[in-house]
Amino acid sequence: MNFKRINFKRFLPVAISLLVLIGLWQGAIAAFEIPPFVLPSLPAILKHAVSEFKPLSASLGATLLEAASGYVLGALCGLLLAMAMVLVTPLERGLMPLCVAINSVPIVAYTPLCLIWFGMGPASKIVLIALAVGFTILVNALHGLKLPEEAAVNLMRSFGASPVGIMRRLRLPAAMPSVVSGLRVAVPRSMIVAIVGEMLGAYKGLGRVIYESTQQVNLLNVWAAVLFASLASMLLYGLLVWVDRKLVWWR
Amino acid sequence: MSTAATGISMAAGARAFLRSPLFAALALALVWELAVQAFRISPRYLPALSAVLRDAWSIWPQLLASFNRTLLETLLGFAAGAAFGCLCGITFSYVRLMERAVFPLFVVSQTVPVVAFGALIVIWFGNSLLAKVVTAFFLTFFPVTVNTLHGLASCDPQRIALMRSFGAKGPTMFFKLALPSALPQILVGLRLGIGLSLVGSIVGEWFGETLGLGVMLIEAMNSDQIVRIWVVIVACGLMGALLYSALTLIERKIIWWRAEA
Repeated sequence: MNFKRINFKRFLPVAISLLVLIGLWQGAIAAFEIPPFVLPSLPAILKHAVSEFKPLSASLGATLLEAASGYVLGALCGLLLAMAMVLVTPLERGLMPLCVAINSVPIVAYTPLCLIWFGMGPASKIVLIALAVGFTILVNALHGLKLPEEAAVNLMRSFGASPVGIMRRLRLPAAMPSVVSGLRVAVPRSMIVAIVGEMLGAYKGLGRVIYESTQQVNLLNVWAAVLFASLASMLLYGLLVWVDRKLVWWR
Repeated sequence: MSTAATGISMAAGARAFLRSPLFAALALALVWELAVQAFRISPRYLPALSAVLRDAWSIWPQLLASFNRTLLETLLGFAAGAAFGCLCGITFSYVRLMERAVFPLFVVSQTVPVVAFGALIVIWFGNSLLAKVVTAFFLTFFPVTVNTLHGLASCDPQRIALMRSFGAKGPTMFFKLALPSALPQILVGLRLGIGLSLVGSIVGEWFGETLGLGVMLIEAMNSDQIVRIWVVIVACGLMGALLYSALTLIERKIIWWRAEA
């Protein structure tokens, strides 16, 4: 009972501001007679999204597959690299400048290179997403793994714990909150990179749909595709927040 | 005695140089050039740095003009996004209802792939500087908002109580306590925002523009010029590093009360 009331209290303001937004959107179209190619009305977008549900969801599926594969690959690589850097300190000193240099270039600038190297298929997008996600996780994991105090590490070492043991029992648990917050930030990022990659060159996917529809000035289709992409990444984000809340075993 | 002292200070200077980002960049450039020469890496994958520099020199005026154009878009978008983000963060932290009502929409707006709107933004604002500034703005304001909100919320309650017991009123509290203690966190947001702003302006240029690093990137891709792509990548990296270090410098100048991060 109490739970319900709290939820209601929290959602009411959001619902109201959402309604205001919708009202402004529709009102602006009615008041200023905005032509549909500048801003289509919401019902028109929804109707289009429903009628084009099949092709759009197929494209979304292709994009999601790329995003998920790249996400998992990148997260694993980032975490493993961070662990390796903490275990073997010279590795960090040698590799970090390279990582910083690669990372100082916005990820979108690598897109053409990836397309030329790995082709128009899903592989190029997966590599790009893995790169973007990997860096986020690397930075967060590195920060988290170094959180335990020197005294705690020395104490464990004096009891004969190996570096791997210290990693498993002390550093990894300490790093979890930081890693998870990195994982959360990486969700929308992986969707965005997937779509950007597809815009520049792909056979299928939402990015391709958006790009082609823009070229054909089929703006309803652009809006519907944006709607699909946004809903999907909202759902993913919500899922991750939920998982985060369920799995707070380290706190 | 004095020679020993200069020896020590020179050694310290050399050590400081070895740790500086400039040295890291130089070492990286050297490793790049030597690795390509030694392993005979195909230019298709990684052209030698010297080849990239030569290509950059051959198109120098265009490269410089593009660099400046993208820099301008990035800075304008960043400035607008940072100002709007700070304002929103402050509003949200003082008006709880606004935070409840609008902040979730902000979060949702960030899961929207902004790049998808690139085409729409070009339709709305034309093929102009404004269109790219808007894209950069949209990417920048969110991290600034979130960090301003966090920074203002994390103000020590004991200090608030102390200031209040001395009779401090709203504006004094804000300018003397809340804002200074939130500034480090706000700068974290700004640093996140500046990188995103650069992404925004590059992607914004893809949707129709004649000048800019994003345009050069697309042109190089379409004509399959790998070396040219690397020229643009290095230019983008330089701009990113430049903006980031400028921000770090500003941070060090204005946040003197918190020497280390």
